[in-house]
Amino acid sequence: MAVHLSVMALFAAAVAAIFGVLVHDAPRDQVRLAVRIFGGLVVGAYLVGWIMIGLYG
Amino acid sequence: MPSPSVTPVPDRRASSASPLMLCAAAWFVPGAGHLLQGRTEKAVVFFVVLVGLFTIGLGFGGRLFPFRAAEPLVFLAAAAEWVLGLPRLVAALGGFGAGDVVRVTYEYGNTFLIAAGLLNALVVLDVYDLAIGRRS
Repeated sequence: MAVHLSVMALFAAAVAAIFGVLVHDAPRDQVRLAVRIFGGLVVGAYLVGWIMIGLYG
Repeated sequence: MPSPSVTPVPDRRASSASPLMLCAAAWFVPGAGHLLQGRTEKAVVFFVVLVGLFTIGLGFGGRLFPFRAAEPLVFLAAAAEWVLGLPRLVAALGGFGAGDVVRVTYEYGNTFLIAAGLLNALVVLDVYDLAIGRRS
């Protein structure tokens, strides 16, 4: 469980970094967007995981 | 009220290279397109993150997919991986990416490899937009 979560967080961090840097030029805006994307991906995946457990677990 | 028109904004950091050359550079080496446009910080982030993602994917036992027309998903995966030009080439020449199917991280590895290529496709598109002045 911890390994799966860590790998997902690593992936989310990479995707968030790319999008943050891609969309904005100012470092502050880049970090803000990256944090929001990272949070969205992690929380979203966690919720979807629980929904899948409820449906199929 | 006049309709808004999109006027290309000349970029002070624009490179003298053609947009297609910049895109080719961005495809072959992640971040190279932005580097040639004078956006060094962005270039470094793209290079480190994308090559890192690709390397981790290989370390997880991910597979470098071949172009196989009989299997459309494999074909698409191969196309996505090849968007990361040089790292994909080096990995293939170095004999990496055989794919360790029994490893628990095999699918994670594939995801990392494919996502690295797809993210670089977005980077290449950004280089093109910057080169033609659509973005500043």
